[in-house]
Amino acid sequence: MSSSFTQISLVLKKELVTSLRDRSSWATMLMFALVTLSAVSLALRGAIPSPTISAALLWVILFFSSMAGVGNIFTSESASGTLLALRIYGSASAVLFGKFFYTLILLIVMSLFTVPLFIIFIGISVSETLIFIISIVLGVWGIASAGTLTAAIMMATDGKGGGLFSILMLPVILPVFLPAIALTAFSFGGDAASVKYLGAMLIYDLLITVAASMLFDFLWYEESGE
Amino acid sequence: MKLSFESVGMRFGAKELIKDFTHTFEPSTITAITGANGSGKSTLLRLAAHLTMPTSGRVTITSDNKPLTRGAYIGAVAMTTPEMALYTRLTARENLSFFVGLRGKSLSDNDIKKLFDKVGLPIDALSKRIDTFSTGMRQRLKVAMMIAAAAPVWLLDEPTLGLDEKGRKMVMREAWEASAGGAIVLWATNDKKESEAADDVIELHAD
Repeated sequence: MSSSFTQISLVLKKELVTSLRDRSSWATMLMFALVTLSAVSLALRGAIPSPTISAALLWVILFFSSMAGVGNIFTSESASGTLLALRIYGSASAVLFGKFFYTLILLIVMSLFTVPLFIIFIGISVSETLIFIISIVLGVWGIASAGTLTAAIMMATDGKGGGLFSILMLPVILPVFLPAIALTAFSFGGDAASVKYLGAMLIYDLLITVAASMLFDFLWYEESGE
Repeated sequence: MKLSFESVGMRFGAKELIKDFTHTFEPSTITAITGANGSGKSTLLRLAAHLTMPTSGRVTITSDNKPLTRGAYIGAVAMTTPEMALYTRLTARENLSFFVGLRGKSLSDNDIKKLFDKVGLPIDALSKRIDTFSTGMRQRLKVAMMIAAAAPVWLLDEPTLGLDEKGRKMVMREAWEASAGGAIVLWATNDKKESEAADDVIELHAD
């Protein structure tokens, strides 16, 4: 077996190339973000909501836009038959982390597209830029790791639980979601939120990434007879 | 290196497809697995690849009488099966480099050209996407992946499906070459010619 880093890079590169040639996951996610942003903006008719409502709206848009792009990262392989080839030739850690980094890149691009548009459409100003950026990065990392793990669990159900993806994701992501909303609200000039939330988000992100690695190992090899 | 099935049973619901199967597959041996449709040929190969968990018993690969670890086991097995698909949006070269790369091997342009020549694929197919390939060309690429992976255990599930006569001869030649190099080859087939060419035959019976 080649080094883990090389294998992860191969899976990441494969994900990027195939998704950019297909473009459906990128287009679905970005269109979802654009449509929800437009709907929120039109509904508000120029009124600027409170920092807490604005923060909640932003994270709802980010969360559900992510679901549109992340949900099928394993089931699409299963449906096309390539999952079998991956299981024969690849290792669990390479597949998991390759797909995790791909998801992270996908969500970072989606955030770079969505967040500036949200600020423009809603007309809200960011007073704590650094905290805002860090909370977006940590929140997106949490969605990427929890999303990759949940998508892998969906793979183990042979795609029969596809509709449950968002429902399963919510309890896993709440410990990141709630502090992210509080910190974003603070960045928008709302009530003060403890900067310790950033540390808590970082620890939770690390935990969920390690847990995903351990659980995925079980999912990948349990099915293969170990 | 040896591939051993020890009292392996495989049950799907009420149906017991494989019952108390014990066999040791030796290096430099081609074993044909034959039997009617539904007799468990593909399941036996999936068990050998650790893609399916046996209901009872165990399947191991041993080297110097020591069972291989999980990572080493995966690295020791290469398989081709009709259910296995390649990435249609990647070119032949990209597919080959990706899967063989996962086994820690990098292929130079010269290596790829030699491989294509061996399996009878035209060089200009290298830069073509798999969705433009015929079934036979895809099968030839899967065989090229197996050759490049250079695994000591070859699991061939109906490897000549969709191939013309030249392609069938090519798969047989490559299996013999791998076997001569010390590989354990399991070949699931219903073709009489193919099973007669094997060193050993295991016939499975559907109940």
